[in-house]
Amino acid sequence: MMSRRHAFSVLSVLALATGSLIAAAPASAEPQKASLRLKWLPQAQFAGFYVAQAKGYYKAEGIDLTINPGGPNLLTENLVATGADTFGLSGGTDSVFAARDKGLPIVCIGVSHQVTPFIFVTRKDGPVKTLQDFKGKTVTTWFTGANHVLNGMLAKEGIKPDELKIQPQQVSVTPFVDGSVDVVTATYYNEFYTIQSRMPKDSLKTFVAEDYGITFPRDTLIVAEATAKEKPELVKAFLRASLKGWKDAFADPKGAVDTVMAAAPTLDRAQQEFMLTEVKRLMTAGAAAKNGSFWIDADAVKTAHDFFLKYGVISKPLDLAAAYDASFIQSVPLADRLP
Amino acid sequence: MNDHAATSLGQGQMATRPIVMPASLRKLIRLLLGLAIAAVIWEGAVRLFGIRPYYLPRLSTILMAIAATPRAYVDGFLRTLAETLIGFAAGGAFGVLIGIAFFRMRALREMVFPIFVVSQTIPVIAFGALVVLWFGNTLLAKAIIAFYLTFFPVTVNTLLGLETVDSKQVALMRSFGASNRQLLLRLQLPTALPQIFVALRLAASLSLVGAIVGEWFGDTTGLGVLLLQAMFTENVVAIWAALLAAALLGTGFYAVVAAVERRLVFWNAEQ
Repeated sequence: MMSRRHAFSVLSVLALATGSLIAAAPASAEPQKASLRLKWLPQAQFAGFYVAQAKGYYKAEGIDLTINPGGPNLLTENLVATGADTFGLSGGTDSVFAARDKGLPIVCIGVSHQVTPFIFVTRKDGPVKTLQDFKGKTVTTWFTGANHVLNGMLAKEGIKPDELKIQPQQVSVTPFVDGSVDVVTATYYNEFYTIQSRMPKDSLKTFVAEDYGITFPRDTLIVAEATAKEKPELVKAFLRASLKGWKDAFADPKGAVDTVMAAAPTLDRAQQEFMLTEVKRLMTAGAAAKNGSFWIDADAVKTAHDFFLKYGVISKPLDLAAAYDASFIQSVPLADRLP
Repeated sequence: MNDHAATSLGQGQMATRPIVMPASLRKLIRLLLGLAIAAVIWEGAVRLFGIRPYYLPRLSTILMAIAATPRAYVDGFLRTLAETLIGFAAGGAFGVLIGIAFFRMRALREMVFPIFVVSQTIPVIAFGALVVLWFGNTLLAKAIIAFYLTFFPVTVNTLLGLETVDSKQVALMRSFGASNRQLLLRLQLPTALPQIFVALRLAASLSLVGAIVGEWFGDTTGLGVLLLQAMFTENVVAIWAALLAAALLGTGFYAVVAAVERRLVFWNAEQ
């Protein structure tokens, strides 16, 4: 009797084990095709995804992933909403709000940059010492999100946008370096590097959104609502593999830059190494320090949402629980999320 | 001794059979000489006037950057070349055929031509985003954009060329019992050919622009990708490297089209 019972339990344990083995090793099944549309061209900003791809982490999760670069004229939200791409690393909380406001069926499943990646740069010996000094000066910025950061900072200081000359910023930071522009917008990881390579670092002064009490988390991972609903396992598996890639990229930045440069050999290595260091800082800042990469900081999202609503960037209050689904990232054990 | 022998042999040859350089070789030598002078002026001016490298880098720096990652430039060159050739060939053939059809069938022309005109008013930036949505990051998608920029001028010029055919010549051929097909092949197309080639030369450049711009929509290889990447990381040396490769492709392609034109439209060669 005992032995039969024993045998039965052994059998059931075996059955369970086999079942979980099958679940844990979907690689034996037909790999599922999926694509990730980046927000920009291949560069160290996306190192973790390229490392995960190169090391076969997606394949191990049963995903046959294609990484599609972004570009200046592609809207990641549209490509994901229409199903042209499965996953997307899109502009940021601002572009997710805008997409939801327009009724695009996308869901944010993770936030990469926990703090505002943009800063506003001026010359230390120039006429701009405080934000109040922006009045009457020429400030260039991108009208793809950075303008909201700027307007938010100005609003907090009671400055109206028409009190200064805000101009669309072209690709080059040369007008600033040459002195024809007083304040220029930069990302920590790209333009700030270019500026520093042309003028001494200690000759620069920066204005940071967080110093004015606002944060605009950016680089948001998104999927279509249908994917989140019908293929939650795919989404979780994608996040597991991606986080593993990022962990490796942070542990071995030089190797990660090698992997990125295999995809884009003409990149400048020094710049890419700088970029990865800065991206790590942005990805591990704020709530991510405790909760790990791609954490969705509900408070930061709510604050940004209320800000955009107040200034009419979005037309109506959004259902934030529907727009930002933290359950997928929470499914990855904390230890695997922490770098 | 040897030197002396060689010299005297050379002189002897010169004396008996003067070496006549073929015109094409002379042209090539002059072209290379012109390029060399331009290169020296570029390099010299940047060094002499201390031009900051983010305005204009030294030519030698650019060439060294290409030499550092030759595969990237060769792969980019070949990929863009393939897109350009497919777009140009398809656009050119379609343009000529549809031009002939428009010439023959007035009703078709009145139905379709306005649609073509409207199609050309869509900015390529907007069209490119749609093509990528429909066809993905494929070579075909880029070739379609090259085609889109190419076919219209060829259609217009084919039609224009066919319409310049002298009606008296048509009447003469008809009086000898020429069929429509003979009329087209023996008279109308040859008459239109110079006009068609004006459009094809234009289309050679346009198809390259189309391929490069097409690559700006999330592609992974090609000169357009290299150019975009360099632009947005403000890597001025890499911008110039990509531009040099694109210029080489563009002028090479133009030269091939012009050479074909000299062969086919030989009676027009003096112009």
